[in-house]
Amino acid sequence: MAGRYKEGVENIPIEQIADALFPEVILTTVDDFLNWGRSWSVWYLLFATACCGIELMQFGGPRTDADRIGSVFRATPRQADLMIVAGTITYKMASRVKLLYEQMAEPKYVISMGACANCGGPFWYSYSVLRGIDKVIPVDFYIAGCPPRPEALLQGVIEVQKKIKKEKYLRAKKSEAGG
Amino acid sequence: MSLTRSEEWYLNMGPHHPSTHGVLRFVVKSDGEVIDEVKPDIGFLHRGIEKIAERLEYNQIIPYYDRVDYLAAFNASWSYVMAVEKLLGIEVPPRAEYIRVILGELNRIISHLISVGSFALDMGAVTPFTWAIREREVVNDIFEMVTGSRLTYNFPRIGGVYQDVPEGFREKVLQFCEYFPPKLKEFNDLITYQKIFIHRLANVAVITPEQAIAFGLTGPNLRGSGIKYDLRKNRPYSVYSEFEFDIPVGTGEAGTLGDAYDRYMVRIREMEESCKIIKQAIEKMPDGPVRAKVPRKLKPPVGDVYAATEAPRGELGVHLISDGSSRPYRMKIRTGSFAAMSIVNEVSHGLMIADLVALIGSLDVIAPEIDR
Amino acid sequence: MLQLFNWLIKTFPSLASHQELTAFVLFIILGLLVLTFAAVVAGSLTYFERKVAARIQSRMGPIEIGLGGYIQWVADAIKLLLKEDIIPENVDKILFRLAPYFAFLGAGLTYLVLPFSEKLILADLNVGVLYFLAVSSITVIGILMAGWASYNKWSLIGGIRSAAQIVSYEIPSALAVLPVVLYAGSLSTQDVVRAQAGWAGFHWMIFQNPFIFISFFVFFISMLAENNRIPFDLPEAESELVAGYNTEYSGMRFAMFFLAEYSNVFILSAFAVTLFLGGWQPLFGLSLKIPGTAVDLWKLFSFFFKTSIMVFLVLTIRWTLPRVRIDQLMGLCWKYLVPIAFFDLFGVMFWMVL
Ligand code: SF4
Repeated sequence: MAGRYKEGVENIPIEQIADALFPEVILTTVDDFLNWGRSWSVWYLLFATACCGIELMQFGGPRTDADRIGSVFRATPRQADLMIVAGTITYKMASRVKLLYEQMAEPKYVISMGACANCGGPFWYSYSVLRGIDKVIPVDFYIAGCPPRPEALLQGVIEVQKKIKKEKYLRAKKSEAGG
Repeated sequence: MSLTRSEEWYLNMGPHHPSTHGVLRFVVKSDGEVIDEVKPDIGFLHRGIEKIAERLEYNQIIPYYDRVDYLAAFNASWSYVMAVEKLLGIEVPPRAEYIRVILGELNRIISHLISVGSFALDMGAVTPFTWAIREREVVNDIFEMVTGSRLTYNFPRIGGVYQDVPEGFREKVLQFCEYFPPKLKEFNDLITYQKIFIHRLANVAVITPEQAIAFGLTGPNLRGSGIKYDLRKNRPYSVYSEFEFDIPVGTGEAGTLGDAYDRYMVRIREMEESCKIIKQAIEKMPDGPVRAKVPRKLKPPVGDVYAATEAPRGELGVHLISDGSSRPYRMKIRTGSFAAMSIVNEVSHGLMIADLVALIGSLDVIAPEIDR
Repeated sequence: MLQLFNWLIKTFPSLASHQELTAFVLFIILGLLVLTFAAVVAGSLTYFERKVAARIQSRMGPIEIGLGGYIQWVADAIKLLLKEDIIPENVDKILFRLAPYFAFLGAGLTYLVLPFSEKLILADLNVGVLYFLAVSSITVIGILMAGWASYNKWSLIGGIRSAAQIVSYEIPSALAVLPVVLYAGSLSTQDVVRAQAGWAGFHWMIFQNPFIFISFFVFFISMLAENNRIPFDLPEAESELVAGYNTEYSGMRFAMFFLAEYSNVFILSAFAVTLFLGGWQPLFGLSLKIPGTAVDLWKLFSFFFKTSIMVFLVLTIRWTLPRVRIDQLMGLCWKYLVPIAFFDLFGVMFWMVL
């Protein structure tokens, strides 16, 4: 092994060498491990504004049981990873949604649940309803329905898990630190 | 700071707060934990349904009513179709009325289930809430079978209901009537007769009968104060006059008349009564059409009409003004939650913060009914 | 620990010349061990709690993650570690940072005097019981600090509530322990356990006399209150105070609170077992005919078995009862528990004199 380290090679950062030598083994495994941990512990913020909120409650209830995949609700945004916006967002509420989103700790994800949160839904015509929460916060997944079934929401959370598993947590951190 | 007086501060409760059931905001002026004044700030869910309705045909408005009171969607839309039927003078076929009654009472049960469950959740007990949800799912199945939807049914139509009930409906409902009372007893054993629970609620947030009338409370909140007033009996609509059932009222069994526990108890008892009504209705249900002959294009005569049903959260009334066109000129929705909100400040003086949560929970308000 | 130290010195004579260093390293290793143990116990407890809660609520609880869901807490820990550590703008930065450690310190230090088995105890202090009572209330400092520093009124109310609650309940819990100490004639936790030797649990403290029997319940209730468990979980009352004192905490710092809370559940149960239910005294008095190590293991098992049952009790209470109000909480303490505890104390005194 030592023979590979020729002149000039020492200047290359150790991570790159590791990447080059064991591309799949070292960093990816750690990444995978971390992602595994993160994906199985997606805590969602209890944020129910309207009708969809009831289905959000059923989502935690006995039949769908969010706890099965490791998701529990938190009342405070600081401890939540996932914001499920369930229900109509009015203009009066929009700024609070943004505030709540900003109060969440990174990394954070957003599911927009129901027609109202996606685009205003049946209240598209209204003078006071925000036509889609993606106008104020970034959204990862949209769930259609009015209201979506709890199963659909479960599917949404599983999609979030899949997304987390694909992320490169360490590398993202590194580039952040470098930049 | 002297020893006898302490500073008052303002607490901002909501709009995102676990106990506000949706999006409400209370500005609480309190001295430590003791509340001096509560100012409700509403409008976080003002969706402008009344205004939207003015640009929709009469038929198209029904789904919006499901969203006025999403916990009791059927009762809400029932109010609306009743108003239009009154305006047009349409006679609803008896079978449709019976279906409405059955679904309406089922809806009342699941609405009260969420209400008492989340009330228990506010009091710190999580399990009753999940149990309530478990029971709710059984009814949800029935609703899904009949209407195809779990929450917002869009089932009543002007002049009847959308379609006849499917096969197996009768058995399923009867099965539920058998299944539910024991489960309710289980629920009661868990939380209703719990010592701590009773101590938390007795003598808290007392609404006297006079206050209740003065503030226009209706539904369980009014009956909790001991006043026997129920639209189903006092102004029987649909076919309610054909059934035998009691109207539970608060008796002050744990403390004072009109306290939070009374209001809670009224809800629990109403679920039992609803079960009785459903049983009778399913036995008596006649055959026949489920929809009257109604023209496609509805053009009611000029005039105005008020119709109301006894929804789980009190009288849900619809005031329609028609100018003779195919769209309502003005529509006003009267809801129980709005009236209940107005009394919060009146009775909350001197309560503790934990009691305020009990008060709001016992009034069983939901945001879209307040803001519409 | 002293024995371990002496043994080390004896077996490796070369270490004798570096006694201080050896002691230091030993301390650190043991400290880390305790920390790891605390973390594992607390983690397993969260899994246990979620499972118990789920079964009570007719749900499944975590099952999908693997190993029947047991490693759920590992995932949670990783997640919390990786979360951003938010320190809000207006907070009192130093206190805000320190608070979680104080909260955990109270829990972590109590492990020192916890007799797991006859030989397995970190430090058999001759004032063990007193030490336990003293150290376990360090947690309140952490909670109060967190509530104050967070610059959030809900947190502040949570912190204040917690302080009032813990300080008040110290009194009945200490008074309830005294009869046991009187009976055992020693403040050392090991001696208390030794005093309970006997066949099939009839010599456990709780069955020794009726006053101690009452004391046990006083102790149990006040420990529940001290550890902010339902029905006394007012400091973090979810529906009233959002999340109480830890509202503003995220990531690792929140995990510390979490850890402290669950360690406390374990410690509460473990001490109830130690003081009243025979500690490591072997179940069914099996100690006689089997060789030494097996006996020790059996003792360890007995301890953990009894503790698990207590933990289960605590969790079941947590998931079935609603929460009391602050004035009722105080009323319960001062009007009922304190007088009862005093009555017990005198009762035991008379019992012993007669
Ligand atoms: S999408 Fe439908 S069910 Fe959901 S909040 Fe909007 S109107 Fe209500």
